[in-house]
Amino acid sequence: MSNAISPVTTTQTPAVDPIVHARGLRKHFGKNEVLHGLDFDIPPGRIYGLIGHNGAGKTTTLNALLGLTSAEGTIRVLGKDPFAHRAELMQNVAFISDVASLPRFLRVRELFALLTNIHPNFDQAKARSFLEGTDVKMEARIKQLSKGMIAQLHLAVVMAIDAKLLVLDEPTLGLDITYRKRFYRRLLEDYMTEERTLLITTHQVDEIEFMLSDIMFIRDGELVLHMQMETVSGKYAQLIVNPDHAAEARAFGPIYEETRFGQTAMVFENVDRDKLEPLGQLSTPTLSDLFVALMQRTPANAGAAT
Amino acid sequence: MNQWNETQPIFIQIRQRIAQMILRQDVKEGEALPSVRQISADLSVNPLTVTKAYQSLVDTGIVETRRGLGMFVQEGARPRLLAQEREKFLTEEWPRIKAQIKALELNIEDLLRQDDTQAGAKA
Repeated sequence: MSNAISPVTTTQTPAVDPIVHARGLRKHFGKNEVLHGLDFDIPPGRIYGLIGHNGAGKTTTLNALLGLTSAEGTIRVLGKDPFAHRAELMQNVAFISDVASLPRFLRVRELFALLTNIHPNFDQAKARSFLEGTDVKMEARIKQLSKGMIAQLHLAVVMAIDAKLLVLDEPTLGLDITYRKRFYRRLLEDYMTEERTLLITTHQVDEIEFMLSDIMFIRDGELVLHMQMETVSGKYAQLIVNPDHAAEARAFGPIYEETRFGQTAMVFENVDRDKLEPLGQLSTPTLSDLFVALMQRTPANAGAAT
Repeated sequence: MNQWNETQPIFIQIRQRIAQMILRQDVKEGEALPSVRQISADLSVNPLTVTKAYQSLVDTGIVETRRGLGMFVQEGARPRLLAQEREKFLTEEWPRIKAQIKALELNIEDLLRQDDTQAGAKA
């Protein structure tokens, strides 16, 4: 396990049980190990971003915590083993994925009636009220809805399930910017409370950067970063280097360096800001800059960093 | 799309925006401020960040929390806030601005006069 990972310290709610608890989480597909022993806790009331390249193990991790796949090690969701208690857990866990589909042959009204019958926590009145003000009509057939409308319908369904944990796997893939904004606005307005937890994976990190309370970066089946957003600025700094000071800045051992249009940017880890300040323009890296920096770093470096 | 500057924590920037609302009297003393949820949704920021911004205004006696009702501007908040903001400007920003004016060999009186004539021209 890389020691670059900071343990989560929950200063505000120290005594609360985590919503998700994973220790030594491993997954093999045949001889190939795709998750190499993940350790993490997700406390309630947080908005977590799980970020990684395609094939890094994001979806496998989500599947393990949704009980859709078995895995080695320990995983508990709301205190239960998701693979053994999947049906029970789904009363309190909701999931939206780009690939999860709604039955296309049904009308919206029929879908709601079906869910009322099969899901103990589905509140039909709530789902209907979420759809008011959207273009999704109760009599419409799902197959006739646009991609954006299906996303709205999906969101209405999961929000009408009073879930303690909502997992969103690339929820806005293929949606235009207006729908994406509306989607996240709805989540913040109508879903988030102190008892609820949101876990999101997305490639469009810029859009949700400030929504997140915590981030986890996953690379090749390992967590390379797990920290609260507000502690990022204490650990990482980005410097647009004044050309005269490039050598000086390099001496502080940047974890990443990039020259774009004649301007050199370096990312530093655990380097005193006072030392960097005189060498150029200092800021906190954006999530996407930090992601690029940490993904390009060689694993040997990651282990030696702290 | 980025409505934030990269040099200050987001909660400080939100705090400043709420402070501006109070200084401009968009929300008057004793009146209700937007809820944490509303600001969070409007700005796509984490609710905890908004709570932190409000908390810093509660700590300095500008905003009060009324249980079950939300956030309100305290009586007498505006003069207090004005004093705090002036103090902050004079200690944190003014020395840098002054140095810049000096470095560029600008004359403050000329600058102020120029600004007034421009404003006059627009009106």
